[in-house]
Amino acid sequence: MRGWLVLTLGATLLCSFAKDYKDVVEHPDASAILEQDKLPPPKRYTMPKGCITDDPDAIARGRYIFHNLNGKKAKTPPPKGLPRFIVVNGKKVPKQYGNCVACHNIEGAQGPGNVGPDLHRYKELFIDTGARDYAFVYQKIADARVDNPTTHMTINLTTGLFTPKEICEIASYVVSKKEE
Amino acid sequence: MKRLLSIALAGLLMGGMVVAEEKLSMSAQDRALYEEMLENNPADIFVEEGAEHLEELGGEEALAKFLEIDEEELPKYLAGFPRYIPKIGMVVAIDQMLQAFMYDRGKQPYPLKSAEMDGFAAYVKSLANGEKINIDVNANEAMQAAYRLGEEVFKMRRGKRGLSCDSCHSKDVVGLRLRMQILPDLGDPKVKAAATWPAYRMTKGKMFTLQKRFQQCMKNALLAQIPLGSPQMVALEVYVTNMAKGQEIQIPGLKR
Ligand code: HEC
Ligand code: HEC
Repeated sequence: MRGWLVLTLGATLLCSFAKDYKDVVEHPDASAILEQDKLPPPKRYTMPKGCITDDPDAIARGRYIFHNLNGKKAKTPPPKGLPRFIVVNGKKVPKQYGNCVACHNIEGAQGPGNVGPDLHRYKELFIDTGARDYAFVYQKIADARVDNPTTHMTINLTTGLFTPKEICEIASYVVSKKEE
Repeated sequence: MKRLLSIALAGLLMGGMVVAEEKLSMSAQDRALYEEMLENNPADIFVEEGAEHLEELGGEEALAKFLEIDEEELPKYLAGFPRYIPKIGMVVAIDQMLQAFMYDRGKQPYPLKSAEMDGFAAYVKSLANGEKINIDVNANEAMQAAYRLGEEVFKMRRGKRGLSCDSCHSKDVVGLRLRMQILPDLGDPKVKAAATWPAYRMTKGKMFTLQKRFQQCMKNALLAQIPLGSPQMVALEVYVTNMAKGQEIQIPGLKR
């Protein structure tokens, strides 16, 4: 009985000592943050009716989203119908754009990256030849994992970064006729 | 004075780099400036402050005693972090180990976020300068688990763009260009990623730890930032440090 008491006391002391370090060393758990931030599974989309358009305003918005990172960093004012800032949970935050130019070269690109394929003359080379169709482009921008599970491309619709309408505008820009 | 000179040099170098960005490589002139800045790293002053913190707590002797090792072993031992430390009961990075040490010495630990801790941790890691990273991810079950968790976090696609660390630092994309930046291979002996943080970032005019650098990548790529010292963050440090195993530690580093 006495031995048992000593043992418990000893164990308590030991534990409280070990516990002391854990109490003073910061080690917050991040699993909830990661869980909430996780990318949902790949999703196949149907391209909305009238998605690909030659409306210059829509294409201008698509172009702007393609070439800019967000509303705070963008150097030129956004075109009609595209805000620089949006309100999320009552807080004004910069609107995120596509920053596609970080990975893709295209007509008029400034400082393009080369992680993704060059999109110059996209319509002429890929659509008009029948290699791709509009639905493919829509799906690629919305969720590229559907036809390439290990893609390094950003996921733009399944994450809720953009609306279907915005995906249409970006796609319309990619397939539009452009000047260098 | 030395610091002012370094900061002025950093300004010059950044100016030059904007031009260099156009051709994506450093000119001979920029290279020379960079070498000179390495000699006069603006972060040296923060590291020196860290030396004072350690002195106040009893110096290397007290630290070695806390770690239950010989003082001569200290540099090699420090080159093996993050480590599992039985008396703390978890895998910790150097800054967390220092929190326990400060507590042990009767001092209120600096928060992981604080500039004091950055300087302190940078100085203590710099005691291992010249040593090769010798992290052992198979040392025990805790380290093995941390490595596995680190790999999982590194490869987890998340955030509003659905990216992971791997999206930009995997073998098949490193060396490619993301906008004007070359995607760095974190295991490349020329990049020496884990061996050179804490480092001074010229674009930010400040020194950052490796975990803070991770947070910057998360922020840029729209991944939710996970807190410093979280088991997931330490695991990420284990995973990324293991990529640079065998590379020589040089603190403080100097980065774009
Ligand atoms: C982080 C890098 C990255 C970003 C950012 C990115 N892409 Fe991509 N993109 C890729 C890669 C890599 C591929 C090729 C692999 C694939 O098809 O999944 C690709 C493929 C494509 C294709 C298919 C080309 C073809 O016909 O095969 C289109 C279209 C495209 N991207 C458009 C965009 C648009 C629009 C954006 C911005 C909303 C964007 N990308 C952002 C990397 C990126
Ligand atoms: C969208 C692309 C992208 C993502 C996602 C990304 N990084 Fe990076 N990372 C970069 C680029 C580009 C650089 C180099 C920036 C520079 O040169 O200033 C970099 C630099 C780094 C460095 C510094 C390397 C050195 O020079 O020592 C570390 C460490 C790092 N990243 C770790 C991570 C980790 C960990 C994650 C995931 C949490 C991550 N990165 C996610 C693009 C990315």
